[in-house]
Amino acid sequence: MQANKRPFWKRDGFIGYLFILPSLIGASIFIIYPLIMTVFYSFTRWDGVNDPQWLGLGNYVRMFTVDPSFPKALQATFLYVLITVPLTMVFGLLLALLLNKALLGIKVFRTLFYLPVVLPSVAALVLWKFIYEPNYGLLNQALALLGMEGRAWLTDPSTAIGAVSAVSVWGVGSMMIIFLSGLQSIDAQLYEAADVDGANGITKFFKITLPMMSPVLFLQLITGLIKAFQAFNEVAILTQKPKANYSTYLLCYSIYDNAFNKLNGYGYAMAQVMILFVIIMIMTFFVFRFSNTYVYYENND
Amino acid sequence: MSTATVRPRSAKQKKLVWNILRFLLLLVIVVPMVFPLLWMITSALKSNSSVLAIPPEWIPREFHWENFSVGLSAIDFLPRFFNSLFITVMCIIGQVISCTLVGYGLARIRFPLRKFWFYFFVGGMMLPGMVGLIPVYRVWAGMGALNTYWPLIVPSFLGSPFYTFLIRQFFMGVPRSFDEAAKIDGAGHLRILFQVLVPVIKPAIVTIVIMQFQATWNEYLSPLLYLIDSDKWTLSLAVASYSSLYAVEWNKFMAADLIYMLPSLIIFFVCQKYFMQGLGSLTNTGIK
Repeated sequence: MQANKRPFWKRDGFIGYLFILPSLIGASIFIIYPLIMTVFYSFTRWDGVNDPQWLGLGNYVRMFTVDPSFPKALQATFLYVLITVPLTMVFGLLLALLLNKALLGIKVFRTLFYLPVVLPSVAALVLWKFIYEPNYGLLNQALALLGMEGRAWLTDPSTAIGAVSAVSVWGVGSMMIIFLSGLQSIDAQLYEAADVDGANGITKFFKITLPMMSPVLFLQLITGLIKAFQAFNEVAILTQKPKANYSTYLLCYSIYDNAFNKLNGYGYAMAQVMILFVIIMIMTFFVFRFSNTYVYYENND
Repeated sequence: MSTATVRPRSAKQKKLVWNILRFLLLLVIVVPMVFPLLWMITSALKSNSSVLAIPPEWIPREFHWENFSVGLSAIDFLPRFFNSLFITVMCIIGQVISCTLVGYGLARIRFPLRKFWFYFFVGGMMLPGMVGLIPVYRVWAGMGALNTYWPLIVPSFLGSPFYTFLIRQFFMGVPRSFDEAAKIDGAGHLRILFQVLVPVIKPAIVTIVIMQFQATWNEYLSPLLYLIDSDKWTLSLAVASYSSLYAVEWNKFMAADLIYMLPSLIIFFVCQKYFMQGLGSLTNTGIK
């Protein structure tokens, strides 16, 4: 009652909005406005200065029929996602399992596996560019010692996307650390009860560890997919001219390229953003559907 | 009785064998993971000719420390270092202030549609960052802010959805009795927030500082779009542009790259606790 007698600027109903004002402005500029603009401009040809020219579905037709680079961008992107996401998740889970229980030097191991994650991505990618260097890079030199023939990994169209994807394994520490904390929050009593029943390690893994970890795995799958679909630095730095044969022309590089390296390219780039957006939405939807069946939540018993 | 005395020993032996196997397996995996970094360090110390030597010199015969000074001046290190530092510090300040305010508002103040805005901001985390790229670029271009630091700094003052979510979850974990006492003493929201609650959620704020440091220090795409004059460049741009030159002197370049990595490495080793425990458990907070 007393609160109502206060002037409005002293009431919580108003003050609350003042507190969340930064995010309200942020959401309008970075979420609502771009979404509306992207949908609109994706139907136009626009140079950024003059009035956009209405094309209808022209940009979408162009990307699937006229422009040879777009199907290749899609192909490269899906390959990249299909290699990196499962690879880092499985390897990350394996490392987390190995590093879960007490062991000599376990802290050192954890630190060393996490170390590459803290490096600036540009610095790490530049290092990998040196490793893949055809003449005196580490990889070809090591292969030479084993008597094997090296190759120009990043420019050879048959190996380029694989080489770019392989670098993601170096960042496996970020998956590892999250899985590790997931493993450590599993109630030890579950394993003790299984021991009493005489369950072996494999049974315990499939009947206890995986179900208990499923919410964490599910979350990492979604964030991993969203991140992999938006990979840009990897190809912008590793493969200087992803365009040369389009084998590493990832969708986000294509968007950047069309918007900022070409005249009148904003509309076409935004149509590609729409495609990226729709792909990510569909992926997320299916992962959520899938999760209803396979993800176990403790409080849903 | 006899089986009872034998079984624990065999279980112990089994565990020992398993631990030795685990150790060896980890050793086999960790070597190739760390090797690139070690190779980078030795390369940075090699002479021009030995960096190209085949077979490679794993340990350089003589240490060429001058690679560091030559490499650093090749990427014009010092001014770019201060550019990166300035942008990074401003972004950290922005995130800490804005996310604490919004997080408090969402956790502690009752106002209409509070739940809706909370879910709206959380939903914003799902939006691919690429969607904002071009429209936001055009906004800054329209304001004549290209080639300035504004487009890189201002967004940090508008609260990242993830950090806001994090802070809000931390505030929700603090018992209401903390603020009740201050409220009875007549403290307003700002005083409750900064004198009572902020000290309690210090770990969350430190985490944000570390994560935002990494995010800004590492950022490549937005400086690439917004910074045109090379005297405004960040270190990430300088390093990337040097790597695309035709003839790269890798030993000097690796020396410079190593220095660019150094602040991140120092922060990692100083704040290891936050990385190894904090960041991992973050994603588990409030998701169950």
